[in-house]
Amino acid sequence: MTAVPAAAACERLAVAYRLWAMPSSPPHSSLADRDLVAGAAGGDERAMAGLYDRYGQVLYAVAYRIVGERADAEEVVLEAFAQAWRDAPRFEAARGSVAGWLTMIARSRALDLVRARSRRDRITTAAASARPDAPLAMGEVRPDPSAGMDHSERRREVRQALEALSAPQRQAIELAYYEGLSQSEIAERLQEPLGTIKTRIRLGMQKLRDALRPFYFEPGP
Amino acid sequence: MSHPEPESPRDLAAAYALGALAPEDARRFEAFLAGSPETQREVAEYRDVAALLALGGGEAAPSDDLRQRVLARVAETKGVPRRPPRARGRAALWVALAASLTAVLGLGLNLRSAQGELRDLRELLADTQGRLAAREATLNAIFEPGVQMYQLTATGDPEPGIQLFYDRQRERAIIHGFRLREVPEGRAYQLWFIRDGKPVPSVTFKPEADGHARVEQIPVPTGGDLSAAAVTIEPESGSTQPTMPIKLVGPLKRS
Repeated sequence: MTAVPAAAACERLAVAYRLWAMPSSPPHSSLADRDLVAGAAGGDERAMAGLYDRYGQVLYAVAYRIVGERADAEEVVLEAFAQAWRDAPRFEAARGSVAGWLTMIARSRALDLVRARSRRDRITTAAASARPDAPLAMGEVRPDPSAGMDHSERRREVRQALEALSAPQRQAIELAYYEGLSQSEIAERLQEPLGTIKTRIRLGMQKLRDALRPFYFEPGP
Repeated sequence: MSHPEPESPRDLAAAYALGALAPEDARRFEAFLAGSPETQREVAEYRDVAALLALGGGEAAPSDDLRQRVLARVAETKGVPRRPPRARGRAALWVALAASLTAVLGLGLNLRSAQGELRDLRELLADTQGRLAAREATLNAIFEPGVQMYQLTATGDPEPGIQLFYDRQRERAIIHGFRLREVPEGRAYQLWFIRDGKPVPSVTFKPEADGHARVEQIPVPTGGDLSAAAVTIEPESGSTQPTMPIKLVGPLKRS
């Protein structure tokens, strides 16, 4: 195949389409995310199974990256799906995607758990290198043969997009998303001007958005 | 809070989606967000980006039984008691539960007592979850596009206040009062809407011991010129005309 831009674009679209149409357990494999949430809102527990099949690993990855321990990460996932089940009737598609909604729930629960560990040291990069069960830095790879393959293409794209950021941009985004720090707190921790941190986050997220738009978990409304 | 340089609220969309705004900044941004569908779409897209970030951290996988545990938790949350296993995947869960209870007995604890405690804890959990769900529903209502917040203020030490969230589309309002003083026995605060210069009676309410009060789904009178809202102290059953001086007042002008 000739590597012309149009062909590359078609291939990228094909990959994106394939990712959107990710396989999941029947009978919900053909349903859109929003349909699954609507099913859950109507009391259909199988819809939650469908959501877990699509996003269980993603939520676990968010939780594990934040809490750094397998058992805690799994508890976070349990809590997150239980909350999603309760909140499903109030989910509004116009406010964002199901993936964004679910991951924000998991992130909040994970940060709550970390904050509750008042007597434990915060997870640090140094600890990560010394502790095999520690969280990974963004872009760092720890192959796990048991991990599903559904997200492999998307993982690659996310890693490439993250690598394309400057290190300070990546660091600012990481501190915000995974440690729950506000821009002011990041500025204080890094001893940088607040305006600099704001710019890093804004530009970094813009770059990620531009690079990852074809790889969102589901198409926009 | 201070900003070294002026910035457009839309510049904060990425930080908001990332959860990087301080609470006060987040509240201000949400007030802006409610009236900006374009920014709402931007935030939604940045949340999609944030959702993908987790995939940049490696391929750690959860336990194989997590799916089953999630579904069990969902069923518990729904309040439907799970039956002993007939399906293959549930066996491990019930075996584990049975083993736990056996261990409890082995430790000399009374099973009935343990079950009672478990029931109490579940009731407490359900109650807490209900409260959180109600609070989240309130927040969702407040953040509906087009909902505007107005302040009803008063003098006093400490200074009481009421935030009135007005959903013009649904003609409903939510009020959140704070630092409100207790009212005498048989009395309550009453809300009034000022329409065409005349007071229209609305709900009565009493503050909690901590001075907070919240009333939702308040019908807002339609037609005419709605210029302000006010609060007086009236008999508990409410009045058709204000009988006491105004305690708090604020304009309801469309911004």
